Amino acid sequence: MLKIENLTKVYPNGTHALNNVSFDVQDGEFLAVIGLSGSGKSTLLRCINRLVEPTSGHIFWDGRDITSIPQAEMRKVRRQMGMIFQQFNLVRRSSVLTNVLSGRLGYVGTLPSALHFFSRADHEKALSSLEQVGLAEKAHVRADSLSGGQQQRVGIARALMQDPWLILADEPVASLDPVLAHSILKYLEQLNKERGMTVMCSLHYLDLVHRYATRAIALKDGELVFQGHPKDIDDAEFKRIYGQEAERVSLV
Amino acid sequence: MMTSKPAFPWIAISSLLVPGLGQFLLKRRGRGLTIFLISLLLGLLISWSFARLAIGSVALGAFTVSWLWLPLALFWLWNILDAHALAADRHISFLPAMFFGALIVYVIAWNVTDVKLDRLVSRFNDARSVASNLFNPDVITISSKGQDEICAWSCLYGYAGDVLAGRAPQGPLRWSENLLDIVGRVKGVTPPGWLVRLGLAHEGEDVNLFVAGTMVETIAMGLMATLFSTILAIPLSFLAARNVMSRFPGGMVIYYAMRGLLNVVRAVDTIVWGLIVIVWVGLGPFAGVIALTIHSVAALCKLFSEEIEHIDPGPVEAVTTTGADLIQTVSYAIVPQVVPSFLSYLLLRWDINMRSATVIGFVAGGGIGFFVVETTRQGAYQQYATALWAVALVIILVDYLSANWRARIMEDAQWQPSGHAWLRYLWVGVFVVLGLVAFVYCWNLTEISISSLFDPGKNFGQLVSDFVHVDLSPATLGPVFQQILVTIFQALLATTLGALLALPVSFLAARNLTGRNPLSIWLYYLSRAIFNVLRSIEALLYVVIFIFWVGIGPFAGTLALTMTSFALVGKLFSEAIENIDTGPIEALTATGANPLQVIVYAILPQLVPPFISYLIYQWDINIRMATIIGFAGGGGIGLTLTTYFGSLQYHKAGTVVAFIVIAVALMDFLSAKLRQELV
Repeated sequence: MLKIENLTKVYPNGTHALNNVSFDVQDGEFLAVIGLSGSGKSTLLRCINRLVEPTSGHIFWDGRDITSIPQAEMRKVRRQMGMIFQQFNLVRRSSVLTNVLSGRLGYVGTLPSALHFFSRADHEKALSSLEQVGLAEKAHVRADSLSGGQQQRVGIARALMQDPWLILADEPVASLDPVLAHSILKYLEQLNKERGMTVMCSLHYLDLVHRYATRAIALKDGELVFQGHPKDIDDAEFKRIYGQEAERVSLV
Repeated sequence: MMTSKPAFPWIAISSLLVPGLGQFLLKRRGRGLTIFLISLLLGLLISWSFARLAIGSVALGAFTVSWLWLPLALFWLWNILDAHALAADRHISFLPAMFFGALIVYVIAWNVTDVKLDRLVSRFNDARSVASNLFNPDVITISSKGQDEICAWSCLYGYAGDVLAGRAPQGPLRWSENLLDIVGRVKGVTPPGWLVRLGLAHEGEDVNLFVAGTMVETIAMGLMATLFSTILAIPLSFLAARNVMSRFPGGMVIYYAMRGLLNVVRAVDTIVWGLIVIVWVGLGPFAGVIALTIHSVAALCKLFSEEIEHIDPGPVEAVTTTGADLIQTVSYAIVPQVVPSFLSYLLLRWDINMRSATVIGFVAGGGIGFFVVETTRQGAYQQYATALWAVALVIILVDYLSANWRARIMEDAQWQPSGHAWLRYLWVGVFVVLGLVAFVYCWNLTEISISSLFDPGKNFGQLVSDFVHVDLSPATLGPVFQQILVTIFQALLATTLGALLALPVSFLAARNLTGRNPLSIWLYYLSRAIFNVLRSIEALLYVVIFIFWVGIGPFAGTLALTMTSFALVGKLFSEAIENIDTGPIEALTATGANPLQVIVYAILPQLVPPFISYLIYQWDINIRMATIIGFAGGGGIGLTLTTYFGSLQYHKAGTVVAFIVIAVALMDFLSAKLRQELV
């Protein structure tokens, strides 16, 4: 359903963030994206929903080339792709409920939403999303009063508001401690297994990849250097992805 | 270990030929260029001031020459020694260079701004009579033997004594007409149309209504200007924000155009805008509101757009990924982030607008400024004194409220709803109604008329075309250039004198020094009160006092600026002293250092950077203030500007405005560089 073809991104300062990357994502997969910091993982995820405009190559979403469709069209496509961020990216001063409701913006009219007006159905949906991540009672507190793990759960609830088919998760647990990391990834796994959402998630720790991912791709200096089952990443493969100096560390 | 290289005589020689060249050749390019530019500037200043004003003139046989060439020669000598030392990888102190440079600049400043210290002494009696008037304002009137007299402190004291002793006091007391002119009075007036329509009054019959005084009018002007400038600045600030504009094709062109425009508009003081606006809409409070609004929009726009540039991009990204459009993104990801800082800038600007509103009447008419012009023209100093105290009272209150609310906003605590929902709605409703009433009242009071905005005065077209074709003939440029120099030197002297006076007092006004001891705490409160009262009154309002004391001219203006500098620098210095870190003091005391050593090694190093940065800040303010101090007779470029405007010579006035913009921009640039170097 998602097909990436020869994707290349060169930033204006000359950095080659992605170089001729091609791969497919099947429906219902939990795809891990691994690689060193600066290997192009964030750029890849942001090219898929075109927060970053690719330099060349194609992105096919549901059989349709979305690489250069107009912004208004792209906004409709974005509704189907929820995104979760390393730094949570909540509006810190707004309430948890407002943050969650903002996940619905792609579906509602500009004027009512600019006046912060949402339908009753959207309100109920927001509260039930919060309930799913176990934060129903925090709906009316300000986002910055929550802990990091709670903020990320709000981030997930916001993504759920979009009724996404695909969840793009950019290092969702890199700012969290190991226990919280598992709890967040379990939510993603649940969405993947129980609600059939496709998850594409960049991760730092290999043991998390082994535990949660059904398939993995690896980037090195913007190039795709591995794709396959996480179990297939043996020591040689590991050195190829992370460099000769690297050693395996385990989380928890 | 010192490694002494052989000396390079040619380095010293090149600095002898051209100052700074030796340093430049040693790859100390910035240092070389600075030395060269300073020497050039000092040389030009000396020859200009000698040729035009014979400053520093001494007779050498048959010739007269400026003795200021001597310190310049010494500066040159220092530059040679510096180059020589640098060549051998050594460093010599730059204090001598600073001393010689400062000597030249201050001697010229002293003469150009017409400093006459003797007058401070010889005309001290005049000053005393003004001071006595200032402390005996015309607030209360007593009627005795059929005559109305001002009842000041001694009269009030006598009255109170009579009452306490059971004697019949002289005549009844009442608020003076002067005070009512300032505050307002209830009197019979022709009823306004809406009162008649509501059936509360009848046509042709007077009704008793509150007629606002000049101070109330001033407050209304400040409020309206703040409101209008906020409404205008919010959308405009997005056009001046780099991170927003860079998203659109061609956006950067708009961005640079906006930035340039904002800087030009801000460089021209509110009062100068007043001169231009009155040609457009005529004299009156409305002109004042427009002038305040123009300057305020530019200042707010700059602050707002910088705030937009510094927001966290994360939430913007997150909201974009949900499929939100531009307006939704602004509303959900940008607005919540910038609300507190926008509000606090708004409150800061309200404070500044209120201060400007007290003086805009000097040129635009309306408000307390106009009242001061009128009273001082008649020599009514006790009436003038009442106005000053009224201004002080209002501005101190505004300053307090603004600072207090800003502090609360910066805490950024979550708003906790309390009470019933309907009670909250009731409160909101009450505030909305009150706000609307205040808005309509201020609108009428400041005589706002949208139609006159689109119907410019007959000279306005002339002004616009003359401003495009400014007069750049030498006959105009010469005097304008001289007055610009006078203005810059006024700012320099005022900053220096103000800081010198403020320095000792600021130690008294530091809570951690004098506030602890019950014996010295009165010093703390007294010096704080002096700073606050003096700071609340604009320099333009002070000029009158100094004109009476030392006569019309740049010296009076310099002294007025010195007063405001003293108060603001003093306050900032004392806060810097209060904020020092006590850790180093403790550490040095523990080493057995004596109090003097503690001051030199633990306290002074902490104070020098903030002091320098506040001095530069004050210098920025004074440059702007000095351009307008001439409107009240304080000399400098302001006088030239009013003369040209008054005689409808707009093409020359345009030259002056252009010079002001250039001078202010240049000085801003210099102070920014200096700040980078020193702080």
